[in-house]
Amino acid sequence: MGENVYLAPDAQLPYCRGCGHALVVRHLSHALAQLQLPPRSVALTTDIGCVGLADSLFPYLHTVHTTHGRSTAFATGMALAEAVSPAGLKPVVMIGDGGAMIGLLHLVHAAQLNVDVTVLVHNNFLFGMTGGQHSALTPLGFVTATTPEGNVTPPLDLLALLRAAHAGFLARHFATDAKLADCIARAIAYPGFAVVEILELCTAYGTRWNELTGARLKEIVAQEGYALGPLEPQSARPPFHEHYREIIAAQSRPTATPETIEPTLAAALTDQVRVVVAGSAGERVQSSAALFCRAALHAGLYATQKNDNPVTQGTGFSLAEICLSPRPIEYTGMESLDVVIVTSADGWKELQSNGTFARCRAEALLLLDDELEPQPVPGRILRLPLRRTASPNRAALAALAAWLEMSHILPSEAWQAALANLAANRRTEASDALRIGRQLALDPTATRP
Amino acid sequence: MPRRLASGNQMVAEGALAAGCRFFAGYPITPASEIYEVMMRELPACGGVALSAPDEISSLCYCVGASLRGLKAMTATSGPGWALMIETLQYALMTETPVVIALVQRLGPSTGGATQGAQGDIGLAAFATSGGYTVPVFSPSTAAECYELAIHAFNWAERLRTPVVLLSDKEVGMTTEVVEQAALNSPPLAQRQPFAGGRPFLTYGIDYPEDVPRFAPVGGDVKVSVTGSAHDLHGRLRKNAPEVVAVLEHLERKIAAHADEMALVRPDLDPGAPYLLLSYGTTARAARQAVAQLRQNGTRSSLLQIQTLFPVPRRELDWALAGVHTVFVAEENLTGQYRAVLAPYLAGKRVLGINKVGSLITPTEIVRTVRAVEA
Repeated sequence: MGENVYLAPDAQLPYCRGCGHALVVRHLSHALAQLQLPPRSVALTTDIGCVGLADSLFPYLHTVHTTHGRSTAFATGMALAEAVSPAGLKPVVMIGDGGAMIGLLHLVHAAQLNVDVTVLVHNNFLFGMTGGQHSALTPLGFVTATTPEGNVTPPLDLLALLRAAHAGFLARHFATDAKLADCIARAIAYPGFAVVEILELCTAYGTRWNELTGARLKEIVAQEGYALGPLEPQSARPPFHEHYREIIAAQSRPTATPETIEPTLAAALTDQVRVVVAGSAGERVQSSAALFCRAALHAGLYATQKNDNPVTQGTGFSLAEICLSPRPIEYTGMESLDVVIVTSADGWKELQSNGTFARCRAEALLLLDDELEPQPVPGRILRLPLRRTASPNRAALAALAAWLEMSHILPSEAWQAALANLAANRRTEASDALRIGRQLALDPTATRP
Repeated sequence: MPRRLASGNQMVAEGALAAGCRFFAGYPITPASEIYEVMMRELPACGGVALSAPDEISSLCYCVGASLRGLKAMTATSGPGWALMIETLQYALMTETPVVIALVQRLGPSTGGATQGAQGDIGLAAFATSGGYTVPVFSPSTAAECYELAIHAFNWAERLRTPVVLLSDKEVGMTTEVVEQAALNSPPLAQRQPFAGGRPFLTYGIDYPEDVPRFAPVGGDVKVSVTGSAHDLHGRLRKNAPEVVAVLEHLERKIAAHADEMALVRPDLDPGAPYLLLSYGTTARAARQAVAQLRQNGTRSSLLQIQTLFPVPRRELDWALAGVHTVFVAEENLTGQYRAVLAPYLAGKRVLGINKVGSLITPTEIVRTVRAVEA
């Protein structure tokens, strides 16, 4: 395959005289020719800046001109699609030093994933297209439009950073280096993430404000301690799409039909009931409420459940708001409450602060653990030894069972049907909680309203 | 009828899978994380890719990259993540790349309240592009609607080659409720129209302004030139060329041409009633209950729940407005974002907002507002 298949033979390179970008596009074209890659297997993905002018120079490659710094991320998405739609696509990213910094996260993640993407970082030490402003890769002492006295911020060693992110192929060359084409070819052929940092001159700004020759460029490299040529290869990993194909093969199964409940029992409920269960994190408040809702479904009721807890999840209160109805439920909020169950001081505190008690109906039932400090609240109060008798983890379920024993809304078979789905150990524990709850409801020693 | 308990988020994920979604990239955020978790669990089993991105910018970029290869793609987020995605949303719009963003609203501004609901991202979702181009926005109010509208979102994203926002909220997303499995509405699936040859391929080739370019994947046999910069039909960067303006006009006209077809509403109209309640998302449920209460007490009123927020369903609005004297727009934000959008279509009617933040608007609050007008 001829050289010209890649770089248009009559291409008018749009770069300033002496700009390194012109050298890079020629090196890239040589590299593609060396690899004999079909043009349609390359997606030239360009960033914003003068590097973004390369699209039109390669008339036969797929080209994707992207947003500033994001080129690597779009290329990553294209490469990931190989796991599902294999076409042997090789995305090649052209990005500048400015784009590399604003899109650093994308470079780091692409390196971690080891996506099959090659990134050519055109490092000319500044933002060229916008007027020669300094970048994160500007060397110390370098004069730019925004560092007229010379840059005082040490530049980022991009390759050292990406090495720490487990990039498999890393190399650094001068744009004038005859070996660059060969290096780019090896980077593209590499089955995984590859970065070639190319040091070059911006003749519009870099050489205007700095005494910048080939020799001076070498001094800068020495000054910053940059490694040249290919960095020591890291241990090879398969590219992410190959790894992911194995995941797909291992997990492939027919679409699971969601498990449904066919109501077979009848509930004694003519109107909506709204229940709040409040306790402490980790004490199965929300899972008990979910089990209760399942039981209600078996008896043909409609149910909604909202959970709340502090953002830390594992500490403080845990709360479930349940609405039961013989008809589909529209409004799912707790405008007024029929039943409030509190199994711990954490739950009590939360209900006080969120205004629950103010929303209780006059005849609401408050089913409280008897260790809670008695406080004046509206409604009929029933204090039961939930935590002591049922244990903290079973207190919520025992309380729900106690309430149902008193209200007779659901037949006991509804509980049994809901339990059938639990793992054996959880089923035993839940059965115990239900038995204890029923006994508590019948216990004459409980403090009655 | 077989029933199950499921959250809106779960049903968004199931709708996406049913729609043929084969790529998902996500980043954790309350109240949208469940969609991400379900997709991570289920998508590989369906032969698709689901992965964790390092931020929301990457999430959407990965989706757009995969969609350029031909995969149906989705991400899920909430307000703070959406703010980061807007750059890439615009890129998807400009490059005519199909993608679905499930945006589960929470209380803002800024990080706001992670576990508190809100309907405050209407403007942010609809007007996120420079130039104000219409991004289709669908708003479900129940878990079952989450499933159905997720499929519609994919269908329109693919048919019109556009980003589409599926706009739910914490209350719809994280509330578990009964789903009648057999009654789930599964619209027929649509695909992007592939380039079939027979003429030279132009990445953004159209025959008339409302036309949608035929799709060829990056990596396929015909050369594709994608760009987010102002471009001609070939995808070549151009400045001050008439073709560039034609392409920009086309971006809006291809959406507007399908506005009637995209319109989804759930009307509960009492023809001749003087009052019309307009609502969407979770607040539409309070409005539905409020209308029932008003009617029980002899106040004639109608309800129009709007599911397609954008493009605005003008025709359905006109039908619902016939004979109406006062319109109430109920939404969980203080500034009446959708009311402001609807204002031009409600000319000649008395328009009142029912607005609140921090907690759900209750049926009682809606009833009271209507009664106050009646008195």
